Amino acid sequence: MILEANNIDKHFLQPQSHHVLKNVSLKINQGELVSLYGESGSGKSSLLYILSTLDTSFSGNLKILGQETKNLSQKELTQFRNKHIGFVYQFHYLLPEFSVLQNIILPAQKLGAKKMNDLKKDAVDLLEELGIAEFVNYPSHKLSGGQQQRVAIARALINDPQIIIADEPTGNLDEKNSAIIFKTLKEIAEKRNNTVLMATHNPNFYNNSHRAIEMINGTLRL
Amino acid sequence: MSKQSLNKTNLSIAIQYLVARKKQSVLAIIGVLLGVTTFIVMINFMSGVNDFLDNAVFKGNPDIVIKPTSKQNTAQQSYGFQLTNLEGLEEINRQLREHTNVTAYANQTISPAILVSNSQQLPGSVNGIFPIEEKNMVDLDKRLIAGKGFDNLTEKNILMGVSLAKKLQVSVNDTIKIILPNGKNTTLTVSGIFSFGITTIDNVRTYISAKTLQHLLGRSEIITHVNVKLKDRDNLDVKTLLLKKLKSIEIEDWKQNNKTIVVGNKVRDILTWSVSFALLLVAGFGIYNIQNSTVIHKRKDIAVLKTIGYTSEDIIFIFLIQAIIIGLIGAFLALGVGYLISFFISITPLDTSDFIIVDTYPINFSKNHFAIGFLFGVLTTILSGYFPSRKASKVDPVTIIRGV
Ligand SMILES: Nc1ncnc2c1ncn2[C@@H]1O[C@H](COP(=O)(O)OP(=O)(O)O)[C@@H](O)[C@H]1O
Ligand SMILES: [Mg+2]
Repeated sequence: MILEANNIDKHFLQPQSHHVLKNVSLKINQGELVSLYGESGSGKSSLLYILSTLDTSFSGNLKILGQETKNLSQKELTQFRNKHIGFVYQFHYLLPEFSVLQNIILPAQKLGAKKMNDLKKDAVDLLEELGIAEFVNYPSHKLSGGQQQRVAIARALINDPQIIIADEPTGNLDEKNSAIIFKTLKEIAEKRNNTVLMATHNPNFYNNSHRAIEMINGTLRL
Repeated sequence: MSKQSLNKTNLSIAIQYLVARKKQSVLAIIGVLLGVTTFIVMINFMSGVNDFLDNAVFKGNPDIVIKPTSKQNTAQQSYGFQLTNLEGLEEINRQLREHTNVTAYANQTISPAILVSNSQQLPGSVNGIFPIEEKNMVDLDKRLIAGKGFDNLTEKNILMGVSLAKKLQVSVNDTIKIILPNGKNTTLTVSGIFSFGITTIDNVRTYISAKTLQHLLGRSEIITHVNVKLKDRDNLDVKTLLLKKLKSIEIEDWKQNNKTIVVGNKVRDILTWSVSFALLLVAGFGIYNIQNSTVIHKRKDIAVLKTIGYTSEDIIFIFLIQAIIIGLIGAFLALGVGYLISFFISITPLDTSDFIIVDTYPINFSKNHFAIGFLFGVLTTILSGYFPSRKASKVDPVTIIRGV
């Protein structure tokens, strides 16, 4: 079991009171590609922020790689994320002044496990897999949206984390680019045996995942 | 801040931001540069002036002067001219010898005199001194611009201030005649000319042997003044003590005679510190503003950095180091610019005023001034960079990522 969530419950109090997650429980195995779909506002993003340890204000239990996350301090959680969880957002969120390469290796530099030359090689390998190796030294803001999203995926993968969490990663992209992103995520699960949890509105994608879970008004229909 | 956050990655991220916002970075650096430079130049100049006055006034004059009460003077003056002998001289000398705050003292006989050179005749006064004692009071050798000092003052010699010598149109080895109020006169050879840089000395002061003067006055024992140098100038205990013991004396201290200089020094100090502080405050505020707007503009970057593994400490470091780099560059440049400006001021000719006689503006190039300025600049930037950095570290990634 890679990820195990039990009775996750969350309320928003500001700006208005809202019971966004209602006793959500979920188990995900290694190598699975799990899709989360459902209406806008049903709570998908809220759940993903909790599962990726970014949001810690909830009740219930979350165990990732056997580690109870409630027992970790903010700093330990940050280090845990750095090592074990890759996150891809709906918007690509690259650091605009940094080059593609610099963006990709940021998590690895923080981890500090590899030498610079090895990191560069890893980054180029990832970019090749994603089909954008020629942009390695471009400033990231010069790339198109689809290209930037692929760079963001490369960044999420650079530390080879066991879990990738993606929140509508194709939400802003055209069909062609979306397909590339989905194919990549699926390969991550199947070839690398990593776990991918993704929120998406695209039926093509959630129907082609290993598991598709619908979220309705803060609950999961398993 | 832990050592972990002080790494190359964080530093390179910080530098990246500085370079990306070149214009603001340069402006911030200029702000620090101006603040620190002003501080260095002002403090160099102000303390140059203070030192100069201190040197001229306090090194050339005694800290306290003991003389007969003026009552006695006026009483005797009604009988025509007569110098008043200082009563209780032995007791005074004993007290001064034993007092721990007294570094030196010297007995003097001072008399009005008319100074007559070949071409000029001026009313003035002569200080009759004992060279061995006077040497401990005034470091005349450093002030000599021609001839020799106290060591070579014989009973046939006279030393005088440079402006006085000019007025009398005499130079070393020329002779001048002094005529005392009792009508007696003698001819002396100028053996040295000195300059303290202030008119109150250079225009009027003469030194002759006390023995010569006593002889001319016909009173071989007469002493009119005792001059005293103190270890701690602000401690005037000895004055109180002497006044209590002896009723026939009057004591002037440096505070009475140099009030304007003491006040002037204080005013200059206050001016230096307040102007520099104000400028550094402005520079600091500039940095604060720039950092603050960077933090607001870079909220997304900060959120991303946090999600991918950068801790709050890393974020603080990344932003604080930007301020520190700005501070270091600005303060470092200010050392050079401050030195240059100070140097140019120090070679700028200065018109002699009523009070000061000096060729160029006095500047004190103390290493401390540069060190304090540098430290000040860097501290200001660290302080003004800290609050925006802390704000950056508190950015909540979820709020930002959700917020688009
Ligand atoms: N800070 C907040 N305060 C109150 N309600 C919020 C806040 N953030 C999100 N919500 C609400 O929570 C619900 C779930 O949002 P979200 O998790 O983004 O859903 P989804 O990703 O499925 O669209 C929405 O109705 C949204 O309006
Ligand atoms: Mg969402």
